[in-house]
Amino acid sequence: MSITVKGEIERKGLGPGTWALVGEDGETYELKDAPSELKKAGLKVSVKGEVRKDVMTFAMIGPVLEVQSFEEL
Amino acid sequence: MIEQQPPPKTTKDPLGRDPQAAARKTGADGENWVIVVNKPSLNGRSAMKKFFLLCLFLIGFGWAISNFPGLATQGTYDSIVLDFREDLGAAEIAKEVNAIAQQYQVAPQLNSEFSAGDNVYVVKGDRTLLNALKKSNLAKDTEYIEPNYVYSAFGIPNDPMYTKQWNLRSINVESAWNETKGSGTTVAIIDSGITPVADLKETKFVPGYDFVNNRAEAYDDHGHGTHVAGTVAQSTNNNYGVAGIAYEAALMPLKVLSASGGGTVSDIAEAIKFAADNGADVINMSLGGSGESQLMSEAIDYAHSKGVVIIAAAGNSGESSASYPARYPHVIGVSALGPDDEKASYSNFGAGVDIAAPGGSEMGKILQSTIDPETGAEVFEGYEGTSMASPHVAAVAALVKASGITEPDSIRSILLQSSRTVTEDPLNHFGSGHLDAAAAVQLAQRGQINFRDFFRWLRDNGYLSPRFWIDGGAVALLPKVAMVLGSYLLAFFMRNYFPFAWTWGFSGGLIAGSSGFFGLRNLFVFDLPQWPLRVMGSSIPELGGAINGSSMLNPFFASVLIPGILIALLLGHRQWKWIAIAISIGFASSLAVNAFVSPAVWGLGSGLLAQTFLIVNALLCFGLARLAIKTEVQSA
Repeated sequence: MSITVKGEIERKGLGPGTWALVGEDGETYELKDAPSELKKAGLKVSVKGEVRKDVMTFAMIGPVLEVQSFEEL
Repeated sequence: MIEQQPPPKTTKDPLGRDPQAAARKTGADGENWVIVVNKPSLNGRSAMKKFFLLCLFLIGFGWAISNFPGLATQGTYDSIVLDFREDLGAAEIAKEVNAIAQQYQVAPQLNSEFSAGDNVYVVKGDRTLLNALKKSNLAKDTEYIEPNYVYSAFGIPNDPMYTKQWNLRSINVESAWNETKGSGTTVAIIDSGITPVADLKETKFVPGYDFVNNRAEAYDDHGHGTHVAGTVAQSTNNNYGVAGIAYEAALMPLKVLSASGGGTVSDIAEAIKFAADNGADVINMSLGGSGESQLMSEAIDYAHSKGVVIIAAAGNSGESSASYPARYPHVIGVSALGPDDEKASYSNFGAGVDIAAPGGSEMGKILQSTIDPETGAEVFEGYEGTSMASPHVAAVAALVKASGITEPDSIRSILLQSSRTVTEDPLNHFGSGHLDAAAAVQLAQRGQINFRDFFRWLRDNGYLSPRFWIDGGAVALLPKVAMVLGSYLLAFFMRNYFPFAWTWGFSGGLIAGSSGFFGLRNLFVFDLPQWPLRVMGSSIPELGGAINGSSMLNPFFASVLIPGILIALLLGHRQWKWIAIAISIGFASSLAVNAFVSPAVWGLGSGLLAQTFLIVNALLCFGLARLAIKTEVQSA
C-alpha cells in the first residue's frame, strides 16, 4: 500500500548518519535506499512510497519509507 | 638514626611449646565444644555442617596461601638491570660490559644519562638471560642483577584515547575490571557485520554469518556494526586507540543490515537462532523497527530458553515507548544517556525501556574504531544513538555472566538491581536506572565467597601492600590472616541468615576486634618510639600486652568483657551498634585463633586452662554478636 508524504529532507546524525523525510504532519520517516537526487538536506519534496514494517534499521528514527517516486516542490 | 629494635615476636609461645602440637591436640576434640555450646540455638547436625564447611574452607585457604606466588614474581619485563659496584672503576666496568656483549650477544646500555654515576646498565633479555647472568662470574662485580619490571597503573588501560571515553568511566567499568573482563563469554553482534580493524586485532572472534549476502564471513560495509562491536570488546591495554568494556569476551559477527543500514525481520530472526545454536551468551541488537513479528518473537523466546541474554536499543525517534525488538518480553530495552547523565533528546523512553546507558549526545559522543563506509578506511569516530547505549549493557551482561551467573533472568535482574536509581523519573526515561558495571559485577559475586573477594576486602581495608607480603615475616603471617579470615567468615555466615548492610564501621570493627592493622607492627620510624605503632597494629584483645611488648594476653582484654560492655552501651545507637557487633565477631575469631596458636594468658598459663578460657570467651563473643544481630534485624 503506497502513501504520499510531503515534507523536507534532513540528514540525521545517528551512528554513521541516515537520510530522513520530515513530513508536514510532523512524522519523521527513514528513507530506505534513497536515490542520490533525494540526498540533499533542505530539499522540499513529495515522496510516494511504501512503509516497510518488515524492515529494521540501525537508525530507528521512525517508519521506514521505501521510495517509489518523488517530485521536488 | 634508625631505631635498631628487633621486631616483636608476637606469636611465639613463651614456654617454648610447639604451637602446632597444641593446635593438633585441640583440633582433635574440637567437635565436642562446637556441639555443646551451640545446643541452645542450633541442632548438632547443623553446627557440625558449618564446622565442617569452615574446616574445608580453612584447608582450601591454607593451600591457596602456600601456593600464593607473591607479587614479586608476577611482573612482566623484557630487559634486565645490572648495577655494577662503584669500586670497580670505569675501565674495569667497560671491560665487563664488553664481555657481556660478546658472550650473550646483547648491547648493554646505560639506563639514561643520569645512570653513569651509579653504573646502572640495562640489557634486553628474558628470564633465561637473567638466570644465566645471575649464575655467571659477573654476579660478584655487581650490586644486583634484577628484572627491569614494567609498572603500569591498575584499572586504567593504556589505550591513548581512553581519556576521551567518558562513557566507560560513567558506567564504573574500571572497578569491574578488577574482577572480570568477560573472559569465556561470547557476545553476538546482530548488526551490519564487523570489520577486523586494527583496534580489534587482539579481540577474540568466533565464527558468525552474513545473512545479507549469505556467506560465512560477516564483514562490515557500513561502519555501524564495527563501532558497536568496539564498545563491547575493543582491544584494550594494547597501547592503541580506544578501550572496550568486556574486552576478553569473544565476538560473534552476524550481518543482517545491508550497506544502506536496513535489514529484514526474517534475516534478524535467523541470526538470533544462529547465535543461540552456536554458543552465544549475550545477543546485542542495536537496531529496530515499528513492526511486530511473530517470527522474531519466537526466535527471541527460543534464544532465551537456551540461556541467552538479549539486549536491544530502545530506538531514536524521541517518543514514548521503545521500538521492536526492544519491546518484546525477554529483551532488555536500553535508552540512551548523554555525558550529563540526562536522557539524550533522540532516545525513546517509556514502555519497553528497562535500563539506561551512555549513548552520547551533541555534548559528547561514543568514540570507537570503525570504518568509513565511503572509503572503507579505518577511522576513530564518535557516534550517538541508542545503538551505542545497547552494547554497554550487552558487555556488562557478559561481565556478569563471566562472574558465574548463568540464568538469563538472573543476569537481567542483576543488571537492573545494580543500576543507579533515578528517583525522579515519571516518564520512565531510565527504566531501573543508570547502568553500573562495578555494582553489577559486585552483586553477581555476592554469595560466592572466593579468594579474590577476600583479598579485595583485605586491600580495601588497608591490609594488603606488596611489601607486607614480602616482608611479613616478623609478624607471624598465618595466624593473623586466620584471625581476619575467621571474622570475615563469621560475619559472612551471619549475614546470610540475617541480612545487614556492610559498612565501613563494620569492617573497622572486625579489624579492631580480630587482628588490628598488623602491618604497622613491622614499621619503625626514625627517632620515634615504636609502641604507638605496636598498639595500633594490635587487635583490642591483644592490647593488654602490646604497650610493654609482651605477647601474653591480658585476661581482661582477651575476653567477652569488652565486647559485652560495648554492645550494652552502643546497642541503642543506629550506626555504632554495628561497630560493636563487628568488634565482637572479630574478638571471637581472634580469641579462637589464639587458643590454638598462642594460648598464653596472664595468670592462666598457656595450657588447657588458658585454651579453655579463650575458647569459651570466643564462643561467648560469637553468641553475643549473633544475638545482637538477630535482635536488630528482626526488629528493624
